[in-house]
Formats: sequence, C-alpha cells, structure tokens
Amino acid sequence: MLKVLTPKWLKIERRPVPSGGVIFLVSIIAIVAALLVAAIFFAAYGVSPISAYRSIIGGALGNWSGISETLRRMIPLLLCGIGLTIAFRALFWNIGADGQLLLGAVAATGVALFSGLPGPLLLPAMFFAGFSAGALWGVIPAVLKVKLGINDVITTLMMNYIALYVVLWLIHGPWRGPSMRGYAYTDMFPPAARIPVIGQSHVHWPTLVLGIVLAVIMYIFLNRTRGGFEIRVVGENPHAARFSGISELKTIAIVMVLSGGLAGLAGVGEVAGVHYQLLDPTQISMGYGYTAIIVAWLARKNPLAVIITSFFFGVLMAGGDVIKVNLGLPFQLIHVFNGLIMFFLIGSELFMNYKISIRRQ
Amino acid sequence: MQKKILLTAVLAVVLIAGIAVIGAAKAYVPGTPITAGFIYVGPIGDYGWTHAHDVARQIVAKEFPWLKTVYVENVAAGDTVSTIDKLVNDKHCNVIFTTSFDFMNGTLAAAKKYPDVIFAHCSGFKRAPNMATYMADFYQVYYLNGLMAGALTKTNKIGYVGAFPIPELKRHISAFTIGVRTVNPNANVYVRWTEAWENPAAAKEATEALVAEGCDVFAFTQDSPTVVQVAAANGALSFSHYSPMYRFAPNNVISGELVHWDKIYADFLRKVYNGTYTAHNLQNVDYWWLLSQGAVEMGAKPGMPINPIFINKLKATIVDDPELGKISVYDLIQTRLDQMANPGITFDPFQGPVYDRKGKLEVPAGMWMSVNSLTSMQWAVKGIIGPWPGEP
Repeated sequence: MLKVLTPKWLKIERRPVPSGGVIFLVSIIAIVAALLVAAIFFAAYGVSPISAYRSIIGGALGNWSGISETLRRMIPLLLCGIGLTIAFRALFWNIGADGQLLLGAVAATGVALFSGLPGPLLLPAMFFAGFSAGALWGVIPAVLKVKLGINDVITTLMMNYIALYVVLWLIHGPWRGPSMRGYAYTDMFPPAARIPVIGQSHVHWPTLVLGIVLAVIMYIFLNRTRGGFEIRVVGENPHAARFSGISELKTIAIVMVLSGGLAGLAGVGEVAGVHYQLLDPTQISMGYGYTAIIVAWLARKNPLAVIITSFFFGVLMAGGDVIKVNLGLPFQLIHVFNGLIMFFLIGSELFMNYKISIRRQ
Repeated sequence: MQKKILLTAVLAVVLIAGIAVIGAAKAYVPGTPITAGFIYVGPIGDYGWTHAHDVARQIVAKEFPWLKTVYVENVAAGDTVSTIDKLVNDKHCNVIFTTSFDFMNGTLAAAKKYPDVIFAHCSGFKRAPNMATYMADFYQVYYLNGLMAGALTKTNKIGYVGAFPIPELKRHISAFTIGVRTVNPNANVYVRWTEAWENPAAAKEATEALVAEGCDVFAFTQDSPTVVQVAAANGALSFSHYSPMYRFAPNNVISGELVHWDKIYADFLRKVYNGTYTAHNLQNVDYWWLLSQGAVEMGAKPGMPINPIFINKLKATIVDDPELGKISVYDLIQTRLDQMANPGITFDPFQGPVYDRKGKLEVPAGMWMSVNSLTSMQWAVKGIIGPWPGEP
C-alpha cells in the first residue's frame, strides 16, 4: 500500500521495534501539530492562540484549583487505563471500561447505603465490592469470546449500555433517595463511606495513591511474572499459547477480572470521592471509560506510562473548563480541541513504526 | 528508563499535592459594580430551560449599568465547585446563580468555601447564610392551560409527555388535570415519561404513542419543541413550554407556559446592590414566584395569552361552575387568571377539597396547600392515567 502511494524520492522503512525516544519524540511532534491546527480555531473566535494556550496551561496547572481538577480527572483515567493496558496486551478489545466503572459505582453505593457495616469497614468493603462488580461485568464478555467466539468489541461495548440502564433504573426506582424529594438520586453516603479529599478539592487522594501503586504492581505482574508472560503469549500468538498448554479461557478471564475490576475501582472513587451518591450515569462516568482507551493506547500498553498519559488527559479535561469559563468560548470547541489532539496522536502511529527519509541520488 | 519515569511521576504527584493555594474572595460592598456568574446545565441553545435563563441574564445585563454577567454552559454536576472556583478567582464574580437542581450539593459546598460570595440556587431546597434558593413555578399556568385543553379536546384524551416523575412535574400535571376536569369531567390525561429533560427522539416516540391512543391535545415538560411539532404533524393541539413555541405550529399551539426569570434576577441583584441581601442573611431567602410576581406568563408567545384562532371555541363552550354559575370557558380562564395574577390572590388550583386518584382526601375543603407540600407533592389527582413512580 505505502509503496504504491509513495513518490520515488521518499524512502520508507519499517522500524522493527520503535525505541522509547522515537515514541516520545513523535508523540510530542503530534501534540504540537494538533496545537497549531487548534490555534486556527482560537484565532477564528478572535482569541489570540498564545494567550489561549497560556490560560489553558495556567488554568490546569498554574494554581492549586487547576491542579486539583487535573488530578481529579486523572484518577479514573489512571485506574481504567491500567486495566485497559492489561486487556490490550492480551489483544482483548475491552471497550467496556465505562460500564465496568458504573457497576463498580453501583456496588460501592449498595455497600455504602444498605450494608449496615460499621464505619471503619465501610470504605474497604466498598472498594472490594466495586472491584468485584467491575470484574464480574468484565469477565462475562471474556467467557463469551473464548467459549462462543462472540466478538469482544461488540459485547463489551453493548454491556456499557446495560450498565447505564442498570444505574438509571436504580436511581429512578428502588434506590431513589427519600431525602431527594423525588429527584433521581440516591441518598447521600454517610461520612464514613466518603473517601478523604485534599482540602476542599475533589482530589480523593487514597484512590490516587491506590492507582499509582497498582500501576507499579501491574507493570511488575505483566513484565516479570509467569502470569504476565502468558497474557502476552495469548495476545501475540494464540497458537503458540495453545501448544504450550496455556489455557486461553483462564488467561483471558484473569485479564478481564483485572481490567474490569480496576475500572470498577474507578467507579468507587467517583461515587465515594466526588459525588457521595449515585446519580445520572453520564454524570458519574463522564466518558472516562472511553477516554481511558486512548490513555492506555497512548501509553503503548505500559501500565507505568499510564501514570503520565492519564495526567496529560487530566490536563486536557481541566483545560477544557478553562476554554469554557475563562475564555468564554463555546463548549463545543473543547471537543474540537481534544479531537484534534487524538487525531494527530493516532495519525502519528505511522511515523513511529516507519522511518521516513528522503532518498539522495 | 522505566524507573526514571516512575520516580518522576511519583515526585510530580507529591509536589503537586504539597501545593495548596486557595483563593480568597473579598466581601461585596453595596453600591459597587456587581459581576454575576450564571452556571447552566445545558447548552444555551436548548430552547427550553437553559435558553430561558440565558435570555433573562441578557435582560438584566442590559437593565443595570452596574452589572456585568458571565455564563458557563453545559456544566456537569461534579464540576460545580471547580466551575465556581474559576468564576470567583478568575472572573471575580460577587454573585453566582446555579440554575439546575443538579448543582445543589456543589453550590452548598462552594458557599462554605467562599463565605463572602453570594449564591442563589434554582429549584433546590438547601440554603445557607450566603446561599438563597429561587423558583418560578408554572402550576397556576398549567391549570389555566388545562381549562383550555378540556374544552378543546374532541376525543376526551389529553396527552402529557413528562421528563422525570419528580414533585415539580407531578404538581404541574395534577394542576393541569384539575383544569381539564373542571370544564370536562369526562376527559383524562394520559402520561408518558421520557426520563430526560431534552431527548427529542424519546419525546417524539412518546407523542406518537399517545396520538395512537387517541390523544388530540398535548402538554409536556421537555426542553425542546418536539412535542409541539409532532403533535401538529398529527393534527393535534399543544402548548408552549418555557420558551415561546408558537412559531413552530401557529395553527396548533393554543397557549402555553412562559417564564420570566429576569423578574427574579432583577429583584435579587437589586437587593444585593442596595445592601438588602448580604452574604450573611440569605438562610431564609426562598423565591417562589408565580403569576402575581410576573415571573410566569400564560401564553403561546409573549403578549398572546390565547391563540386567537381558538378564542371563539372557548367563548362558545359554556360550563356550569359550582362557584361562578354558567360561564364560558373563555371567561372562566380570564376570571381565574385575574384572581391569581393580581396581588391578594383569591384562587388556587389546589384549593380543597382535592382527592388523589386513589380516592384519598389530600386537601380538605377550604384549605390551600403550603409551598412545602406543593414542592414535595407525590400524589396524582383523579383523571391522570399512566405510571406514577413514588405514588403514595
């Protein structure tokens, strides 16, 4: 394909394994290119691109309220993102982090409001329940794929909608809070079921610490253990896996327990760290489960790199608020802005895997 | 390499967590310029709730030379505090209006965080020394529209496309049904819920289903003119809701419920400007504004209380009112409107006796409902047909 379309004076060679430096450099160039194109839109609205970028960076990182917003957005992206790197290593296309996150939020809410557990046990039980619910939601498509050959993209995606309607049904039906005067929310969580935050921000730091610790653990698991090796083999060469006696069902199930469970933890963080109640599903997930796909992809399936990419997308999301509030631009521009960055990052794949140079003759 | 990345990341997080700079706002001095921030739940072009608030914002911004306004649209519930952070610290807002129930907890948290900033939250029930609540309510207007619907239906089936089964809508649908039944005891109101404030596809589906059941007049709670359009396409009549929707179906829109949030915003801001309201005395300030304060209006569009093409039919329909005797529906509407719109209100749609649809006496004879019982109302009056989640 590439050969046909390339003029003679261009030389394109495949890079067998792109080095970390190449990945970093190409990603940076892609982001800069996206910023240049986005600048045209800012200018079209009569806002100087330079002052726009200054206020976006300043708004997301320049003071504590900006940083706290960035970190708050980073937490669910980090947890979902780590989970997705595991799934993507096994070439299991988990598009369902959003639904797994919601199920985690549901389980945490159930424990917080209805378990009657004593205070100190509440939060650990909520995290445990959230992980289990997310894992359960994730393992269903895994079994369907391995046992019945049903496409994982379709099942994980569709289960997001089921999760969304489960939440809607709960808040409109059995779990609608008596103190909410008929509005579709559950009651507020008791104080013992709320994750501590830094100051008056929404940064529920225990979840952030948990995310960073899990990133390290998952990195070690994937790269230094037999289980991690089996996941890679199943992903990269299922035939070899079968010949060497690796159980595909068991491996994929473990992958999705971890992937779904981590997304479930993100859901616990959102309801117990930010909202303190179960509410409209779109307000809980905010599309984190979908954004995390790009977070994981950009991290090149490396859980440690997710720490950086989730932080970067946290900046983008917090910067979006700056576009809306401080620059007074239409909110749709945020989607254009974020879309451009994703477009260029995905497009830059070519330059990572191929070396392009000019022929000298 | 990997270790370095990890170390850098951990360091960055520790460093960031260590920085804590919380901006402090200054107390407002009466008589100095005000910057008012408006936080909207939807896009300003929704042609419903948010649109109506933004129109009001523009009116007060023009009216007061000392007022500057800023707004933020499409704000999620979880972003309430962070949006207020920016409005207070970067935009230097003295007064902040949060215009959705979704923002209640966030506004209360922000009110504690910024004790010198004045907040007003629309449609909620939590207040603080620097946080008031306000609402312009339609239940009287719905009753008047119900009188028209009852007189104009040919099938005796009236459709209502509701958003969420919350007390606000239950109150509106019941008031509307009381109006319908006052002039037409044989008519019923058929209710469908879309579970969304703005979902044109679901509203269309619900309207078509009700048309199929035989409904020929429609009222609704939706932030889009979909019901008006779909009803008109099926030859059915309807009412404007929130914004003037007359132009979408000039031959089918009878009247409607119009809002004037600017009346509340102007009153509130004037009282902040002259020092009546401060960041310390709002604990009991709750605006519950109706027809008599001009916060709501009956009309297909401003200045058109009833679409002229329906006036003759309303004048020709004579009913026997227990209190007013033989009277045309048109005159009945005018009488009730006068009684509710003029100060010293002498009529209320829910004046007792009112029975719910299960036969229980909810409002005893001679009694009116308190604001509190209106805002927490869960029961349905007789004549309402359809699911009613939370019905006692």
